[in-house]
Amino acid sequence: MMMRYSAGLSGQDVIISGANMSQNQSTDFFLAAAKKLHLVAALVALVFVGPVGAEEESAFSLHGFGTLGATRTSTADAEFVRDLSQPQGASKHWDGKVDSILGLQASWRLTPDLEAVVQAISHYRYDRSFKPEVSWAYVKYDPTPQVSLRAGRLGTEFFMMADSRQVGYSYLPVRPPGDFFWYLPFSSINGVDAALTVPVGEDVLRGKLYYGISEGNIPLADKQWSLDGSAMIGGYLDYQLGSWLLRASYANIRFNHNMPVDDILRANLPANMVGQARDYLAADNTRSHYYSVGAIYDNGPWQLQIMLNKITQGSRIFQSSSAGYLLAGYRVGPVTPYAGFSWIRSESRAATLNPVIDVIMADAHAHQNTTILGARWDVARNVALKAQWDGIRGEPQSIFPFRNEQPGWTGKMDVFSLTMDFVF
Amino acid sequence: MKPSRLHSLVLLVWLALLPAGEALADLVVVVNARNGVAVMTRNEVANIFFGRYRQFFNGVEAQPVDLADSHPDRARFYAALVGKDLSDVNAYWSRQVFSGRMQAPPRVGSTEEVLKWVSSHPGGIGFVDLAKADARVRVVYELVP
Repeated sequence: MMMRYSAGLSGQDVIISGANMSQNQSTDFFLAAAKKLHLVAALVALVFVGPVGAEEESAFSLHGFGTLGATRTSTADAEFVRDLSQPQGASKHWDGKVDSILGLQASWRLTPDLEAVVQAISHYRYDRSFKPEVSWAYVKYDPTPQVSLRAGRLGTEFFMMADSRQVGYSYLPVRPPGDFFWYLPFSSINGVDAALTVPVGEDVLRGKLYYGISEGNIPLADKQWSLDGSAMIGGYLDYQLGSWLLRASYANIRFNHNMPVDDILRANLPANMVGQARDYLAADNTRSHYYSVGAIYDNGPWQLQIMLNKITQGSRIFQSSSAGYLLAGYRVGPVTPYAGFSWIRSESRAATLNPVIDVIMADAHAHQNTTILGARWDVARNVALKAQWDGIRGEPQSIFPFRNEQPGWTGKMDVFSLTMDFVF
Repeated sequence: MKPSRLHSLVLLVWLALLPAGEALADLVVVVNARNGVAVMTRNEVANIFFGRYRQFFNGVEAQPVDLADSHPDRARFYAALVGKDLSDVNAYWSRQVFSGRMQAPPRVGSTEEVLKWVSSHPGGIGFVDLAKADARVRVVYELVP
């Protein structure tokens, strides 16, 4: 759900002073995060004074993951970003901020059934900084081997693998295919989830339900779209059939704020039309639905992934879309070459009589295919080097997934990536 | 150097370079002797060691123990069980851990520690060389290399 209004609108620069706003928002974000952390700390403390007992597995562990990446593209007419949280992307020069990330996780096993986890990451984010943020902070309680309950700040599972998008080492390619994952607006919620696992003969069926509130931001030119207070609810069913993992999932979000387009509307429309246009493009209190099915095959040297999604958007400022990808890798010694293909199609909405509204709505359009070729080299224990080419072939109107498109943008771009992923 | 000497030298070097694996016995999966489980299938073992489902068919909660990467049996175990390289196994666990789903099984450094773990946990399950499995544990699955 990302739009940049720097292109179009009769060449007028519509970026209006918003620098102070982003500063304040990021401060608010951290205050809110700090409050949530206090809550979690209190919960943990509560648990510690509880019946910890003399169980042998009361243990603290610290793990981390990270990626050092360099990314460049074949064009200066648009910038390539990894996801919507990045306000600037890679262009014709090697760029380290698109894929580089560092994450740390501390976990405490309080009793065999109870665990507290805090995970923080530092990556290039909506406010153009690498400020660390708390990505997860939760308490997990597994009363039986079938049931798992979590409360706190949790990863969002819009689609299969969506909650590990930042862990490069866990992925075969450099990054999750953008055509499939770009539309996901945030990666964590403050809420609860419950998972139930049941054996079916030798197979395993697993279902999960979750609910939570987002507090993220999405950058738009020099502004941010606040997702604070947006409620998300969803669930999925997994079926583990030997080496196959199959999933069907559904989620929806009710957005809590409008996109920050008021300034643009005021600058380009007569005063009496601004209110009407704002209502027409309202995102506040609209609902978006995310459907997906996926299959992963993981056996011997083979890794295969096939996923399809459909997103229907309640607000006219977004476009509903369908996307999918195929990915296959085959390990030869320490090297796993892989190839993939992904696509996204969004449905343009009917034109209005108002060209300003039409330009804003056109900013949500995506229509492109991407071919992926690369290799992962497990060069040392827990360290992988990857080199990848993405050939993006789209329509010139496919501008949603990019930043800072210029008038010469053709919809075609080659992306070259080199990364070193590690875990510890 | 005479040709015959050269031959024996080549033979010696070749013998030294032979993979030690030829001499290794089969790996077996063992559980606590009082567990009550007598035999398991490959999928059941994989489900437990990959954290997909950690319960024995008789209702006992499974408490798997793994070996450190430096122990050669770890690579042999996952190669025989699912045909996977350790890098793939570690990548799998990094997804589970950092997505917040679950932690990996604890790892110990030696077969003796595996046997200790399995015999001291009612739901203990681990893998050892067949020759090392003793009365404290019960063999429930034999891995075919």
